[in-house]
Amino acid sequence: MDIFVQLIYSGVALGMIYAVVAFGYQLTFSTSATLNFGQGEALMLGSMVGLTLSNLGINYWLIIPLVCVFGFLQGTVVEYLGVRPAIKIKSEFGWIMSTIALGIIFRNFAENIWGRSTFRFPGPFEDDPIKLFGANILPMEILVVLGAVSMMLLVEIFNRKSIYGKAVVATANDRDAAGLMGINTGLVITFSYALSSLTASFAGVLISPLTLAGSGAGGALGLKAFAVAIVGGLSSGLGIVVGGIILGVSETLTGFYISTGYKDVPSLIILLIVLSFKPAGLFGKTTIKKV
Amino acid sequence: MRFKFLILAAGIIILSLFPIFQTNTYYIHMVERILIYSILLFGLDIVVGYTGQVSLGHAGLFGVGAYTAGILYFKLGVPFLIILPIAVIVSCIFGALLALPALKVVGPYIAMVTLAFGTIIQILINEMTFLTEGPLGIIIKKPIIFGFQTKEIHYYWIVLAISVLSLVVINRILKSRLGRSFEALRDSPVACDCMGVSVYKYKVYAFIISAGFAGLAGSLYAYSEQYISPNTYVFELTVLFLLAIIMGGRKTRLGAIIGAAIVITLPQLLGDVKLFRIVATALAFVVVAGSALLISRQMSTVRKVSIPVIGTVGLMIFSYFIKNISDWRLSIFGFMILLVVYYLQDGIVGFVNNFYMRIFSSKKSARDQIDVGNFDKDDAIISAKNSSAPDQLLNLKSVLMQFGGLKALHDVDLIVKRGTIHGLIGPNGSGKSTLINVLTGIYVPTAGTVEFSGASIVGKVSSKIALSGIARTFQNVQLFNEMTAIENIMVGLNHTYKSNLFEIALNLPRFKREELAAKQRAYGLLKFVGLEEFANEEARNLTYGKQRLLEIARALALDPNLLLLDEPAAGLTAPDIKELLLIIKKIKEKGITIILIEHHMEVVMAVSDVVSVLDFGQKIAEGKPKEIQNNPKVIEAYLGAQTT
Amino acid sequence: MLIIKDLESGYGKVNVLKKINIEVPKNKVVTLIGANGAGKTTTLRTITGMIKLTSGHITLNGKSIDNFPSYKVACLGLAHSPEGRRVFPSLTVFDNLQLGAFPRLTGSRPRGDFKGDIDRAMELFPKLKERRNQLAGTLSGGEQQMLAMARAIMLNPDIILLDEPSMGLAPILVEEVFKIIARLKAAGTTMLLVEQFAVGALNIADYAYVLENGRISMHGPASKLKNDPAIKAAYLGGH
Repeated sequence: MDIFVQLIYSGVALGMIYAVVAFGYQLTFSTSATLNFGQGEALMLGSMVGLTLSNLGINYWLIIPLVCVFGFLQGTVVEYLGVRPAIKIKSEFGWIMSTIALGIIFRNFAENIWGRSTFRFPGPFEDDPIKLFGANILPMEILVVLGAVSMMLLVEIFNRKSIYGKAVVATANDRDAAGLMGINTGLVITFSYALSSLTASFAGVLISPLTLAGSGAGGALGLKAFAVAIVGGLSSGLGIVVGGIILGVSETLTGFYISTGYKDVPSLIILLIVLSFKPAGLFGKTTIKKV
Repeated sequence: MRFKFLILAAGIIILSLFPIFQTNTYYIHMVERILIYSILLFGLDIVVGYTGQVSLGHAGLFGVGAYTAGILYFKLGVPFLIILPIAVIVSCIFGALLALPALKVVGPYIAMVTLAFGTIIQILINEMTFLTEGPLGIIIKKPIIFGFQTKEIHYYWIVLAISVLSLVVINRILKSRLGRSFEALRDSPVACDCMGVSVYKYKVYAFIISAGFAGLAGSLYAYSEQYISPNTYVFELTVLFLLAIIMGGRKTRLGAIIGAAIVITLPQLLGDVKLFRIVATALAFVVVAGSALLISRQMSTVRKVSIPVIGTVGLMIFSYFIKNISDWRLSIFGFMILLVVYYLQDGIVGFVNNFYMRIFSSKKSARDQIDVGNFDKDDAIISAKNSSAPDQLLNLKSVLMQFGGLKALHDVDLIVKRGTIHGLIGPNGSGKSTLINVLTGIYVPTAGTVEFSGASIVGKVSSKIALSGIARTFQNVQLFNEMTAIENIMVGLNHTYKSNLFEIALNLPRFKREELAAKQRAYGLLKFVGLEEFANEEARNLTYGKQRLLEIARALALDPNLLLLDEPAAGLTAPDIKELLLIIKKIKEKGITIILIEHHMEVVMAVSDVVSVLDFGQKIAEGKPKEIQNNPKVIEAYLGAQTT
Repeated sequence: MLIIKDLESGYGKVNVLKKINIEVPKNKVVTLIGANGAGKTTTLRTITGMIKLTSGHITLNGKSIDNFPSYKVACLGLAHSPEGRRVFPSLTVFDNLQLGAFPRLTGSRPRGDFKGDIDRAMELFPKLKERRNQLAGTLSGGEQQMLAMARAIMLNPDIILLDEPSMGLAPILVEEVFKIIARLKAAGTTMLLVEQFAVGALNIADYAYVLENGRISMHGPASKLKNDPAIKAAYLGGH
């Protein structure tokens, strides 16, 4: 029983990471109806850059803002090279392929810089678990949950309260009309990509002390975060948190009780099932397209 | 046609003689792999090029084919000639399985779903060791056919024969109604459904056919490599396939072959760093010089060329820094994808075609022209079926259509009598188009009943409703833009075909007969609306007015009992409108009932038997045109209170 | 104020507009009327850069704005209240108004008296005051139209483009909308009004252009056009 609760804890922590990355998908999807297929690579880069900084002896708490800056820049590059030209020529195929291509390039660079092996990422806490409801939980796991939630809240507050945040929401609501208000919607889209990569690389620094850091970690993670975004609905904040937890827990349980080889399967199956029967997600609203 | 045939024949002869003159098995094997990839790409092109979806699952389907062959061979010792069809069937089943979630969604979702599917297949191959031997892989020997042990060269010929066969079959499929439907559903899914061609069904077909070819290629690949293992069928392979398709050129078989040749030979060509440096330097020089030329001639701006210039120069500098090229293979592929996606969108074949056309300023459409005999236009329209059904063709009772808080239609009753022209007017946003969308199944009404020919159509899908005899045009023209005028109409004639996939693939007489009949009728319909001289013109190149007429002709191809015209006169000039009135009257003579939405009062009043007025989602008046014109309520809501 | 010269534009290869000339002088209300599909909305969308112009020139206050992106045109003082209202449904009424003043709040245009302008807008549209903190998506069609107009005013613009403000509204609301337009006119606001409801538009405008199949078929003082028999037959419902 203890082990079960413990698995739930780590599943929740993992799920919150998926939720943060899924949140990044939501950001870009809402402003430009595009997604970064290399979102997982943004997370991986965040953790690898963080690791390098850590090896230089920089304190974990200082690494976080530095990696966020890196993520912000990386997202800007992705938008500028991969998405902007595609939006201009209205080519869906274009941005899908170019974000995939950029993802591959990023991963390949990471492989060449850091190698293909995985590394331990030193966290800010000792690895001594705390007892919570009779089962062990790592302090880092608590930090992950808190960090993920506060990151999402922070962005939400920015969007609700500041005039620039409102401009982001306006662009998401209706890009043409936002332009008519004097909002530079192109810049808003760039910004949403930067923010999206920022959250992903932040997630990378959060999760790496629990898992391991490695150049190959991105692909599967990006896909599972997408599954979370779909299960939760591409427009629902609560949805991705719930979706993240469902998928995170199902993954740790499968990994323990069946086989680690199969741990990615339930997420993907859930993704396929949800898309077959409720494409708008469990929490998403079905929109009627006007003809 | 003849020219193409000659090239094909020459190609086959050269390729079959190739292993006799070039005895190095390394090269024979390489060409064999190009042929195998080509088969897969023919299939992938159906999904990517024709239906316009991004599939990231084709490496998975390729793997399904390979492992079906591998397992059958290894576990059961099934002979080659039986394995091939089984591998195709199994892959088709997987394709159908993939289609189920993939096709309810669009765009990026499809890409992600197919990616998830591919990932699952890869995991399963890895983990189901009892079947697949897991990471160890399976060793397969070259096939024994009728007791004869084949060698590399024999197997090469087998692959060549199968790929030629695939080429012929795929060409026939894509030229047939199936190919037209695939293209149509990409250009306008809504119109496609409303022409009785179910978007969902045809997307599933496309995926299944595509999967079949992927499976065939996969099984051939297993025998070709003589060893299969899970790490072949990964995400990178899918991306490689997509790169091949877009680089070679979508919607051409030649493009697929060129693409396959490039992605297979490139790693070999770039095998050593020195060559790569030379290529990168040359490329950078070409791009810089080309950009400079364009700027000096003011055909481009510094800003526009900055990305390719920086990119290629960066690549050149980069090439001098790296020591081992194989480590950077994926980056180079990624870079090529970026380049191709934005600067070579039509692929090599498309680029050469455009270049050729510009040089010789030939205006000939790249599409095959359709030749048609003489066909009497009056026979083109089939008179409405005057069945024993009631006199009321259409009967709406208290229909409510609610979007959130907005009631777009509120308690609308409407009876349309058989053989009449029923005008429908009302201010913008009063619910006219919503009504049409309810009638064609695009919206399902929140409440109320809709009966057509005595049967309820509420909740039926658009394509079913269309086939039951309701055809429509669209307020904002929804043609299949990249298809010719006559092809547009032939999509509407899809319902006249009975031949199946095998008859199409084998070009059997029934299919040929139906194709000819459809062509002739389509031509007749074009004549009916006066567009016969534009038969082979792409729809997007027609003027607005002609596009509207083409939509009417396409709608008539459905042999409808009820024709819904949504603002047919919008954007038409005065003489065009006269022509339109004549056409509407002629359609009525054929016994086809018409609902006419129009803002041009003179059009509505001239032809309508009854006119209904909608305002604010409610029917506020109904009667003969004369009565409506004098109805005070109508004048106030619509015509303007102050008019006299 | 706004001068459109030999404008051609359209979607894809097909030009919808053919050599259009329109002039909107300062402090005047000019209307552009015509049937559905004649190119009215296309004209406005070309002015604010949502559609590329293929030839011709547009100048605002003597400055060329050919193919400027929408946001730059807005920052130069042109407010466009688009067809179908297009309020931001998931933001409140107040947020919508605030975004109308976005260039003022972010330094692209002089800030002026933002708070006072909000109050004045609420006064002009009392319904909005009641619904200040309600999400715009929950407003009725008429209220959304009011909001769209108020949002345009919040820019403190030199000129307002109004695209079919009466569309989809009940007659009584149409009347109200036109009353507000009349008040704006009285206050000296320069406007280009696109309308299908020709009677109302001609009653309020100083000058009118008639668009037919992408060409200006007729133009003149609104009072004159109102009594033109051809116009009456085609747009005012008479026969």
